[in-house]
Amino acid sequence: MTEVTFFVLLAVHAPRHGYAVMQFVEERTAGRLRLGAGSLYGAISALVEKGWAAALEEQDGRKKEYLVTNLGRQVAQAELERLHGLVSTAEQIMEEAEHEEDIQVLRRFPGVAGALAEQLV
Amino acid sequence: MSDEGWRLVRVGKLSYEFEPCPPGAYRYRVDFVGHLPAGRQKDYRSLLRELGYRVMSKNLNLNWSAGHVRFRPWAKGAGKLSASPGSFNRELLIVEKENDGAPFELHTAPEDLREYYRYQRNMYATTALLGLAFALVLFYQEAIAGGTAFAVLAVLCGLPVVWCRKRMGETQ
Repeated sequence: MTEVTFFVLLAVHAPRHGYAVMQFVEERTAGRLRLGAGSLYGAISALVEKGWAAALEEQDGRKKEYLVTNLGRQVAQAELERLHGLVSTAEQIMEEAEHEEDIQVLRRFPGVAGALAEQLV
Repeated sequence: MSDEGWRLVRVGKLSYEFEPCPPGAYRYRVDFVGHLPAGRQKDYRSLLRELGYRVMSKNLNLNWSAGHVRFRPWAKGAGKLSASPGSFNRELLIVEKENDGAPFELHTAPEDLREYYRYQRNMYATTALLGLAFALVLFYQEAIAGGTAFAVLAVLCGLPVVWCRKRMGETQ
């Protein structure tokens, strides 16, 4: 799922019309994601087509609002879990890489290991 | 025109009507919507108006017709059948907003941009391939003038295909 799709899906967890979705995404990403009207329409249409969001019944004079469906909530939850797993795996890999780098340094410069050991003692 | 103090008021098949305005007061973008079914085009126009934009539909080609139905294999879903009245001769949207200094782009998300250029690429590729097919048939029948005309059409329609592919690549 792309970042834009995910944020738009999150935005419609409360009933929101198009402009409100646009503002929500911009505010929550501190201006990093600014949706053009065409991209906004594409993202909302895609959610509605997939059954992840639905347009609420239009009331006279009010802008069309969208709300997440139960399926959309499940999909958002699954994506959140996937992202959690991704972050956890990335942290683990980077920690292992840093640890491996330390070992490589100690192997290349054996004197460093001795100096460190003296300091610890 | 807007920078020079002219605001677009109305568009026709071959005409554009302007009225004076303060220089730079308005900004414009042209959006391709030829791939969308008529209902989706209407929804999109409503959304643009909700966002405070003014919207004008414009024809891509020069064609006077009524009750016309055209098959567009490159379009999306029900948009493959374009009818007049409906989505035919309304392939473009001219979108106007008051110049508030904020950026004005309609398509900003990479995946949306790829799809946007993909439909235009497919539209031109269809015409280019048809032109090429007609050219080959005419050359085979030794109708050199006709074959050359269609070959030129195929090449001209091939240029936007290359451009669209380049833009799609830039969004990766």
